[in-house]
Amino acid sequence: MWRLIAHRLVMSIPLLLIVSLIVFGLEAVVPGDAARTILGENATPQSLAALRDQLGLDDPWAVRYWHWLSGALHGDLGTSIISGVDVMSSLNSRLGVTLSLLVPSMLLSAVAGVALGFASAVRGGALGRFIDVVSLFGFALPSFWIALILVTFFAVHLGWLPATGYQDFAASPAGWLKSIVLPVLALSLQGITSVAKQTRDTVMEVLETDYVKFLRANGVPERSVRYRHVLRNAAIPVVTSLGLVSVGMLSGAVFIENVFVLPGLGSLATQATLDHDVPVILGVGVFFTLSVIVINLLIDLAYGLLNPKVRVS
Amino acid sequence: MHGFISASGRHPGTTRPRLAAVAAACAVALAGCSGGGAGSQTSSQLSLQFPGPPVSLDPAKAGNGGSAVFVSLAYDPLIYLSGKGELVPDLATRWGFTDRTNKVFELTLRQGVTFSDGSALDAKAAVASMNYFLGAGGGLVGKVGPVDKIEAVAPTKVRITYKKPTPEAASTLTQYNGMGNLIGPKGLAAPASLLTSSDGTGQFVYDGATSVSGNRYVYKKNPHYFQPAAQHFDSAVVRVINNPNAVLSAAQTGQVQFASGSSNTASAAKRSGLKVDTAPFFNWSLNLVDRKGAVAPALADVRVRQAIALAFDRPAIAKALAGAYASGSNQVLLPGTDGYDRGIGYGYDVAKAKSLLTQAGYPNGFKLKVLTESVLDVNDTYSQAIADALKAIGIDVTLQVQTTGIAQFTADALSKKYAAVIFPTAGTTMSELNSQIMSGLFNPFGSADGTLDSILQQAATATDAQTRTTRYQQASKRLQDLAWTVPIFATQNVYYTAAALENVQSSVLNPNPMPVGPTADLSWRLK
Repeated sequence: MWRLIAHRLVMSIPLLLIVSLIVFGLEAVVPGDAARTILGENATPQSLAALRDQLGLDDPWAVRYWHWLSGALHGDLGTSIISGVDVMSSLNSRLGVTLSLLVPSMLLSAVAGVALGFASAVRGGALGRFIDVVSLFGFALPSFWIALILVTFFAVHLGWLPATGYQDFAASPAGWLKSIVLPVLALSLQGITSVAKQTRDTVMEVLETDYVKFLRANGVPERSVRYRHVLRNAAIPVVTSLGLVSVGMLSGAVFIENVFVLPGLGSLATQATLDHDVPVILGVGVFFTLSVIVINLLIDLAYGLLNPKVRVS
Repeated sequence: MHGFISASGRHPGTTRPRLAAVAAACAVALAGCSGGGAGSQTSSQLSLQFPGPPVSLDPAKAGNGGSAVFVSLAYDPLIYLSGKGELVPDLATRWGFTDRTNKVFELTLRQGVTFSDGSALDAKAAVASMNYFLGAGGGLVGKVGPVDKIEAVAPTKVRITYKKPTPEAASTLTQYNGMGNLIGPKGLAAPASLLTSSDGTGQFVYDGATSVSGNRYVYKKNPHYFQPAAQHFDSAVVRVINNPNAVLSAAQTGQVQFASGSSNTASAAKRSGLKVDTAPFFNWSLNLVDRKGAVAPALADVRVRQAIALAFDRPAIAKALAGAYASGSNQVLLPGTDGYDRGIGYGYDVAKAKSLLTQAGYPNGFKLKVLTESVLDVNDTYSQAIADALKAIGIDVTLQVQTTGIAQFTADALSKKYAAVIFPTAGTTMSELNSQIMSGLFNPFGSADGTLDSILQQAATATDAQTRTTRYQQASKRLQDLAWTVPIFATQNVYYTAAALENVQSSVLNPNPMPVGPTADLSWRLK
C-alpha cells in the first residue's frame, strides 16, 4: 500500500507540471490581462504599458512560467496581482470552506446513495421505481436550480437557514452547520442519485449470480447474504461511481460557492479567471489537480481493501 | 475568517442530534484547515452588498460609480457629493476659482483631521496624495480634468492649476473621481499596503485580516474620525454577491441591509417588505464610432447616422426590456441634469429614416457589424432589441458579443475593427459626458467637431450658471445633429433597503447612494 501511495505521489509531479503548463498556456491565449483589469476601461495606453512592464506581463510567456515555477518549487505560489494577498495564505484561508462543502457532500452521496440504492435493489417494487424517477430528476436538474429552490423554501420562507454566506467552525459550530446545510444538499443531490442508481443496478446484478443462489441454497441467512457477500461484491463499481461523483463535485463546488456566496476555492478561481490573476489561477489549478490525484488514490486503496485480487496485482 | 449575518427576526429550526454529531465530527477534522476567526455581526454593523469586487482598494486605482463604496468607507474625499447631488464640505471646507477663466482652483483644508497612520492632514499631505493619484495611472485619471500642477500654497491651502478652463473642478474632487480621496503619507510610501489595509481619514478603517478578497470586505470604526456624530455603526461589511436571486435572498432574510437589485426582482423585493429606491443611471446608446466610414462606409454620411437615430421606438423598447425601471432616452443628458432640453430629441420615424437612407444611396439598407458585451447587458437582450429595431429600416446587424469582461470589450472597441458599439454612457454633467463620448471606446477613430468644441469652450469659461446651461443645451443639440452617439433608453439603478435603514438617498445627480457622509444627517443609520 505504501508503495502504491509513494508511486502515485511521484507520478503526480509530472502531472502537476503539465496541468500548470496547460492552465498557464490557456490563460496566455485568452484575450485581456491583469493590467487592464486593474486600470479599467479608461486607462491610457501609456499607463497600461507601464503597469504591464511593472508586473512583468510583457515578458515572454516561457519566462513568466519559469518565474512562477521556480517560486512554486520553493513553496512560494506568488502574490495575487489584484488583491496583493499571498496566494498560499489565500488558498489556506479558503481551503476549509471548500472542504466543508466537499467532504460532507461526498459522505452524504456515499451513505445516502448506497443506502437508497441497496434498499431499492433488495426490496424492488415501488421504492425501486421511485429511485429510478428521482435519479432522472437528479441527473436532469442543474445544481444551481436546486440551490435556488432550497434557498427560497428553507431560507426565505421558513427562515431556518441562511440564504448566503459562511460561518467559520471555530467561531460557531452551530453557525457553521447552518451555513453548509443548503450548499451541501444542493451539491450532493446529483451525487446521491448517481450513486443510488449505480448501487441498485450492481446489487441487482450480483443478486442474480450463481454464487448468491448457492449461498441461499446452503441456508446462509439472508441478512448475511446481503450485507456480507452481495454488498461487498457490488462495492467496486459503486466506489468507481463515487470517485467520479467526487471529481464532478470539484467543478460543481465552483457553481455552488458562487450561488451561496461561500468564500471557497471555487469562487476564488472564478474571480481570478475574470481578473486574469494568473498566480491565483495557477494556485487553485494546482490544488484541484492534487484533489483529483488524492481522490483517485483513495479509490485505488478502496479497491485493494474490497478485493484481495486487486491488492495482489 | 468568515461569517454570515444571521437572518434577522428568524429562529433556527432544531437539528437532529445525530446529524449534528456527524457534521460536528467532520467539522473538527476540518477546523485545522479553516481560516479561523468570526466576523460576526454586532448590533451596529452595516451590511452592504455589491455585485463585484473592487477594481482596487488603492483609491488611485479604484473604480467609480457604485464601486466607490469600497474606498469611501475608509477614505474621505475633499468634497462630498450628497445623494441629492449637492457639493458638501468634507476634507475641504471651502473651495473656488481664484481667476476669471476657471483655471486656478483653491481649496481650504479642514483642520484637526488625522490619517489612519497617525499623521495630520495638511496641504503637503494632500498634494502628495493628489500627485500620487495622477502618477498611478488608474482609470479615473481622465475624469479629473487637465491638471497642470498641484501645490501647497499655505499649511491648509491647496491650489490646482488646470491647463484648460475646468468649471467642474469641484465635482472632480468628490468621492467618485479618485483624486479627492486623500491617502496618508505611510500609505503613499508603500502603495501595495493599500490593498490589504487602508490609510485614509474616513469613518472606517479597512480590516484586511478579517476580509476575504472577492467575497467580503470588512471595515472597523475609525476611532480618530473627525466627526464622531456622523458615525452610526461600529463596523461595516461589503459582501460581494452577483447572482440577482442570491442578492434578493440576502436582502429578504436581512443578511444585507442594502443591496443593488434589478428590474427582474424588484417586485418580489417590494412584496417582501424591502424599500425599493431607484435613480436613473445608464443611458444605453448605439455609438456610431466610425464617423469617416473606415470600416462601414455608410456611416460617413450624416444622413445614415440620423436615419439610424430615427429607427427606435424608445418608450416601447424601454418598457419591453425593463418595465417601470427604464425610460426612453433621446439625448445624451438625462432629465434633471444641467442642460437637459425637453425640446430636442431624435424621435421615431421609420418612413423618414428610410427616406434618409435612400437619399444617402442606401435604399436597401446595408450590413453592419456591431460590438456589444454580455456583462452589463446580461443575456445581450438590450443589444438584440437594438439590432431588431434597425432591421425595420433595412440595416442587417450582426452582433459581436464580448463575454470575457469590460476590459477586453474596451480593447476590442479600441481595435478600430468595429464601426458601431453598444455601451451606455453614464454621467451627470455635459463636460463629463462629452469627455466620455470623445474618448476611449466611444471614439476609437478620434473624431472631433469644431462646432461642438467651440460651444463647450464657451460653457467652460462662462461665469454665470444660466449661460453655461444654455451652452450645454446647444452642445446636446449639436451631438444630436452629429448622431455620433444615439441614446435609446435609460435604465435605473435599483436598490433594496431594509425598512429600518434611514438616510439612503440617490438622485439623477448622484445615482449611487453612499453610506458615509461628513455630517450626521448624511450618513446612514438604523431607526
